[in-house]
Amino acid sequence: MGRAGQLRRVLLGAIVAAAMATVPAVSRTSDDLFNPHTLQRIDLWLNAADWAKLRQNFQKNTYYPADLTWNGITVNNVGIRSRGLGSRSSTKPGLRVDFDRYSTRQEFLRLKSFILDNLTQDHTGIKESVVMRFYERLGIPGPRETHTRLYVNGQYAGLYGLVESVDKTMMGRVFGSINGNVQNDGYLFEYNYVLDSPWRFEYEGPALAPYKARFDIKTNESHAESTIWGPIEEMVRIANESTSADFEQAIGTRIDLPALTRFLAAQNFVADHDGLNGYAGMNNFYLYRLENSPTHVLIAWDEDNAFRQTDYQVDARITENVLTSKLLANTTYVSQYYGVLLEAADSATGWLQQEMQRQFDLIHQAMLEDRLKPYSNVEYETARHSLLAFPDARITYVRCEVSKLTNQALPSGCR
Amino acid sequence: MKRVSLVAILFASAAAPVAAQDQRGFVWNDRPALVFGDNISVEVKGRALLEWRKFDPEIGEDTFNLRTARIGLAGELTRHLGWEVEREIVWNELDDKVEFGEWKDVYGEWKTFDKVRVRGGRFKMPFGLEQNTGVSSLDFAYRTGGSNAIAPGRDRGVMAFGDLGRFNYEAGVFDADGDNGESNEPQFVQQGQDREDVGPSVAVRVSGDLLRLLPVGRLRSASLGVAYTTSDLPEGLNSLRGEALWGADFFQHVYVKGRRQRLGAQFEWTPGPTSVKAEWMQSREQRNQQSNRNADLSDFIGEAWYVAGTWFVTGEGKDGNVKPRRPLLGGGIGAIELAVRYEYLGFRSASTAGTAFTNPRSDHQVPNSDRAWTFGVNWITSRWTRVMANAIRETIEDDSRAPLTGTDSYWSGLVRLNVVF
Repeated sequence: MGRAGQLRRVLLGAIVAAAMATVPAVSRTSDDLFNPHTLQRIDLWLNAADWAKLRQNFQKNTYYPADLTWNGITVNNVGIRSRGLGSRSSTKPGLRVDFDRYSTRQEFLRLKSFILDNLTQDHTGIKESVVMRFYERLGIPGPRETHTRLYVNGQYAGLYGLVESVDKTMMGRVFGSINGNVQNDGYLFEYNYVLDSPWRFEYEGPALAPYKARFDIKTNESHAESTIWGPIEEMVRIANESTSADFEQAIGTRIDLPALTRFLAAQNFVADHDGLNGYAGMNNFYLYRLENSPTHVLIAWDEDNAFRQTDYQVDARITENVLTSKLLANTTYVSQYYGVLLEAADSATGWLQQEMQRQFDLIHQAMLEDRLKPYSNVEYETARHSLLAFPDARITYVRCEVSKLTNQALPSGCR
Repeated sequence: MKRVSLVAILFASAAAPVAAQDQRGFVWNDRPALVFGDNISVEVKGRALLEWRKFDPEIGEDTFNLRTARIGLAGELTRHLGWEVEREIVWNELDDKVEFGEWKDVYGEWKTFDKVRVRGGRFKMPFGLEQNTGVSSLDFAYRTGGSNAIAPGRDRGVMAFGDLGRFNYEAGVFDADGDNGESNEPQFVQQGQDREDVGPSVAVRVSGDLLRLLPVGRLRSASLGVAYTTSDLPEGLNSLRGEALWGADFFQHVYVKGRRQRLGAQFEWTPGPTSVKAEWMQSREQRNQQSNRNADLSDFIGEAWYVAGTWFVTGEGKDGNVKPRRPLLGGGIGAIELAVRYEYLGFRSASTAGTAFTNPRSDHQVPNSDRAWTFGVNWITSRWTRVMANAIRETIEDDSRAPLTGTDSYWSGLVRLNVVF
């Protein structure tokens, strides 16, 4: 090559390099991260000793520093810790990732944190993400979710659910602005299941300690206890003291009753037996008291136990719980309850099974390659086939049962 | 009730004005002793420090504190050998009883020659002017943060030391790296591995009246010194840490591996009834392979200094053991001393590149420091008793890591009764 040729090559190289350098970076948002149509890849890099310690001490909430990479973006010095209750695992730990653990100003795609759900209690791997997508269709607030392959120090660590944290950021996203006020500074509580103390909204006296034990405050933690838990004590007391006749008027300002009814019906439709009316009392939800308001609303959380059985009774355990029994003793709300069940059946028709199939297709290879999950590929395949059979049977069952209870003509297929 | 009894016994024993009449048998000069012959003796040592304290804002500390209670024996076995043992006495709140606690000084000493002496056992490593001053001889109720956090304190070892005229020297080898530098979390022990501890360490200190060679007037009597330590540092959350005056961490341990080194300088000047003391010390700890990706991190650095001044308004000389000119028991007012001190203790990383994090594996650490003013009045009532009153203003640089999150400044005050014999 002559001198002129070399010069042309250098110039061409310089032009290409300049062009590449000026290509605007694709701006990514949290919607991209939780895009339900994409199987993500997340890499965590942490000191080898720390990963060993985290796995050894998986029952503890000790934080360890790590670097995180997603889609070409690296965030240094995030904090990770083992998480979960029954899902905790030493071989495949569920993880909480906090971006602001070691620098209060650090965030990632405007998120402060997210959850890496180890999917150890759901052999299908998709129950929770399907339910959250379904809830979204029904207008029930819940976290965004998708799936990710997780790599730790370059090694495949398994298929994980990628779950949005329920926090101030999510409250702002879900509730937006009410009366010109962005809903990101209300009182957010995670319901804490107190072992050996199942609770069904019974009044536990005027002292705040029992409510403090059941409702972990996640925002405004420094406020006075009476400000944080006083309204919860009041709400529970009023619910217990009110009669069926004055229930709506007495408690209607304390909790959004139409939203509660919708939540209850939707959770029943997906046959979750470990939720608001769970087999061992209330469980798996967040409670949010709107900013500058006495009104509480429920946020969906942890639906690993959904799709329990197709003939899960449409009024299962309603009467066991003080709040839900009084709610559905009211004709307005019982009517709404059945209405939402039918709405859910309509919404699920044609969509639910398709969504399940789509998500199975998305995760299938990653699930098969996941050698750290506590179930075999055969068990996964069995659970997958069983789940795909759920929607049609459940839709029929709910329609038939609601028709029977509301004295309507039975649709075809009822027994 | 038991606290009151303890105080009464200590007062009674300490205040008993028994003087030595015969240098054989039972003798009580500064403390009770049994003297068996020339250079063969056993002395009984004791001390109790009791405090009444006040905090603003409240930080959850007790208002009464039995700071220290110790009992010990010291003696000579001929003019060649000396020895000392001392142990803490603690109140076991769980069992509601008094019991022995930690061993303090436990050593033997060969002291035939002033120029070369050898000490072996457990004793204070030769680093830190204030750290090597006994708690009952301090000008303030508490040592500075630097003396507690960076200076190593006691350890098991062997040390040669001596007086070379203008200079004193101390050089020793120690098992670990002092009580203040012991490991917090061992290296992550895999199956089949042994747990490692900090150490061994080497410590050297040289001090003397260097200024005597310079035309600096009265300052010629001042003493200057430098000290150095080095030790092996096993992997783990084993760094030195920043502790606020009343115990809360303002800088937690970070991951380290490699070598820990300390460098210190000290200044002491005691003209007449006044004194000026100052120290500077720095620690550097390596963090080999400690990043999130197992790469080396920049050194972790601790730094501390203080300047302190005292003045006996009743005129006693500061040099040597202070004895009131007019003891309280002799009808006088005792000796009254005013004292003031300003101190700094801070931690940071050598690297300041990129974003700073509080993560214990971050290359660039968010720095934090504790600065404190201490104002004191010491009332020395006799050879054995002293009352100290201190007011302390402490300020933490990063209030998110202060004893009360969001509150950076604290007042505390205390009155302490020292009984020492």
